[in-house]
Amino acid sequence: MRGGDDQDSVREEFLSEAQEIVETLSRDLLLLDQAQKERRDDPDLLNDIFRAVHTLKGLAGMFGMERLQELAHTLENLLDDLRLGRVDLTQETLDVLFEGVENIQRILARAEAGEDDVDLTGFAEAVDRFTEAAEVPTGNLDEYELGEHVTSVLTEYEEHRMRTNIEQDIPLYRLQVAFALASIDTALEDLKLRAKPFAELITYLPSMDGDDDDVISLEVLLASSAELEELRDVLCGTSGELEPVPRKQSARRPTMVPEDERKNPQSAPKKAQPRAQAGPVEEVVPDRGGGADALSLRSVANSVRVNIHKLDHLMNVVGELAIVRSAVAQMIEKIREWPELRSLSAELHRISRSFERNLEELQDGILDVRMVPLGQVFDKLARVIRQVARDNGKEIGMTVKGAETEVDKLIVEELSDPLMHLIRNAIDHGIETPAQRESRGKPRQGTLRLVAYQKGNHVLIEVKDDGNGMDSEFLLQTAIARGLINDDVSRDLGRDELFNLIFLPGFSTTETVTDLSGRGVGMDVVKTNISKLGGIIDVQSEVGVGTTFTITLPITLAIISALVVKLGADTYAIPLANVQEALMLEPAGIRTVEGREVMTLRGGTLPLCRLDELFRMQPPPRGRVNKQYVVVSQLGNRRLGMVVDSLLGQQDIVIKALGRSLSSVRGFAGATDLGDQHVALVLDTPQILEEVLASVERAKFVEVTT
Amino acid sequence: MSDPGQKSMVPGVLRAGSVASPAHADGAIFEFLAFRLATETYALPLAGVQEILKPPYITEVPRSAREVLGIVSVRGHVTTVIDLRRRLRLPEPPIDSRTRILLVAAAEEVVGLLVDNVLQVYRLYEDEVEIASTVGGDMNEYVMGIGRPRAVRTLGRSTSHERENVADILILLDAQSLLTR
Repeated sequence: MRGGDDQDSVREEFLSEAQEIVETLSRDLLLLDQAQKERRDDPDLLNDIFRAVHTLKGLAGMFGMERLQELAHTLENLLDDLRLGRVDLTQETLDVLFEGVENIQRILARAEAGEDDVDLTGFAEAVDRFTEAAEVPTGNLDEYELGEHVTSVLTEYEEHRMRTNIEQDIPLYRLQVAFALASIDTALEDLKLRAKPFAELITYLPSMDGDDDDVISLEVLLASSAELEELRDVLCGTSGELEPVPRKQSARRPTMVPEDERKNPQSAPKKAQPRAQAGPVEEVVPDRGGGADALSLRSVANSVRVNIHKLDHLMNVVGELAIVRSAVAQMIEKIREWPELRSLSAELHRISRSFERNLEELQDGILDVRMVPLGQVFDKLARVIRQVARDNGKEIGMTVKGAETEVDKLIVEELSDPLMHLIRNAIDHGIETPAQRESRGKPRQGTLRLVAYQKGNHVLIEVKDDGNGMDSEFLLQTAIARGLINDDVSRDLGRDELFNLIFLPGFSTTETVTDLSGRGVGMDVVKTNISKLGGIIDVQSEVGVGTTFTITLPITLAIISALVVKLGADTYAIPLANVQEALMLEPAGIRTVEGREVMTLRGGTLPLCRLDELFRMQPPPRGRVNKQYVVVSQLGNRRLGMVVDSLLGQQDIVIKALGRSLSSVRGFAGATDLGDQHVALVLDTPQILEEVLASVERAKFVEVTT
Repeated sequence: MSDPGQKSMVPGVLRAGSVASPAHADGAIFEFLAFRLATETYALPLAGVQEILKPPYITEVPRSAREVLGIVSVRGHVTTVIDLRRRLRLPEPPIDSRTRILLVAAAEEVVGLLVDNVLQVYRLYEDEVEIASTVGGDMNEYVMGIGRPRAVRTLGRSTSHERENVADILILLDAQSLLTR
């Protein structure tokens, strides 16, 4: 082992993890900034930020980056004061936080270059100015009949949240629930999740009346401005009882907190007593003080962060093993021909089969590791939706179904941009303003639905809005007006095909360019991005009812089924996801339309593309007498027949990227090792379709304009 | 890497790609792998050459640049093979049993370079290397210098085969500028 390299890779790992944290931090700070501007309190977000900085501090300590550790510590202090309400969240404090993240980034950048010379003294002083002025919020816990058993066990943070809510006049509720001991963790998570949109869960305490050993009764304290009935509906699905916490008669008006209590909110005798009160069920009481830390420690122990390239590498090794396996199988076949070795060959055959099975399992296992739930993207989108709707003066509710559907990590990464675009479009053009909706007899609030589900080897994602819908006639007129299609063609278009006009480059129906969409980068980019993932996008719409986009994606990019074909002397693979059918070419059936070869397929016209001509390959010596085949490929509503010399069959392949030196070569999605030492190129069917048909459409366009 | 404290006439580009050791009083030693392209002898810094392969089946890539021969799979990695003779505009003898592919790490990827045959490793002292800019004339941009090995050291007792493989002038190529275009 080379020690230097090891250290480098460990360092690299650290830097990438730290970078990831910084990215999350910047994102969360922006959200916090947004919340602050709207005078909205978001304790969860603040906690997330606090925890991220805390993790960073731990990491920095582990890797001996003292300066970073110091900086994180300073920030952590400020954040702690913020979440405990000792320091107010203002634009000034946010400025300091942003500056802090910038400093972290600076340190990381210098660290990458092996330097450690960022000066932080000025920054530390700026932070100190805030932390020194720390104060405690004044909301008075005495306003409520909380009971000694509650007030005495609140942590500093819980107490602060309680005070803040009281200060903002948000009523407190008490929920009594009982959970089975075995499933309390998941049940609590579920409760938190359900409560989240409506209420802030301040704390939960085990209560006294548990007779049953396997059941735990919890007293949950919530702050919520929702109506009691609504809250009951949301929370009481679990055999629970919800009631408002009674207020003390005398204490309606906020009163001043005694001086000594303000200075030291922990002075209450809570640390001394609470354990005894918790009684026999003490072990299962989550320790809220160290809760965040304990939780993150556990998750570190159970899961491993892995660079996706390492998984790619493993996949490569598995591919190599498959080649070894087939070589071994061939040897076994040879040995079989020797009668005196029959028992040996039978034994070898058995071993080889077991090898094969395990190899398949290994391959499936690696693929499984690459899978992540789509919820990862959906969560991000939910934040965007809220913001975009607000900016746009629209009321929008979002429902998500199937967030647990899993797809390959790489696909999830590439999916967020196209989905974001669809959603922005839906909010911008689709869903009407509350006033318009009311006048049309629709609920004020528009609904966006994200639905994901698996269907065979594909994952379908639907983005549905209940907005204005699209007028196909209007789309057609726009497309003609922009010269995107010609009049004759348009007559042949079916209703569904009309909607697909929006995917043409240069198509944009908004009259006014808004901040959100209609900037010319439109649906064609969405479509291209989806095709890059081997997927397709379709659209359905009804005027006044809404629009639905359906994205169909392969579950993984790592292994795909492909049709292996021969073209001249070379072998090519065509992803089956893009293949509709393959049939023999009838030379007599070929017609020429506008100088292009076409054939008739089930009553429709299918443009043909001779791949050897497209690829400008050497003309084959055989002439054109042999049988040839047509591979029909469809993208959205456009079809193309690719002419090849022969069909070799279907095979599962691992697509590997071509090197950078070939990045400018169009038409190939990568290459694959077919297992017989031959590398075959994998066709990028969407790109070929685009290329061939675009030139056809350009030709028509020229005809129209001249 | 070379010792930064050492005074040297050899520019960074040469040092960066080669293993230099201050073993000799005359200065650093640079190691080059020499190979034949058409009638000339070329050499690349040894440190940049990862592996020498016998050419496997090379899959042609339609629409690629003329000097791209195609792709091969090297232990699961798809690797582009470039015909050095085409890049350097030299005649192209047919591929035979002595043809080899050198795997060379460029800035962003590992690339295979097809050469007619591989000769040997030369260890050159600083004074055996002339930098392209000082040689003058119309030098190709890929050439970083000329190596003039003192025959004595590389030869010793030689067989006829070795004599055939010995060159008195090596055209030293710069892998980076060769591959970043």
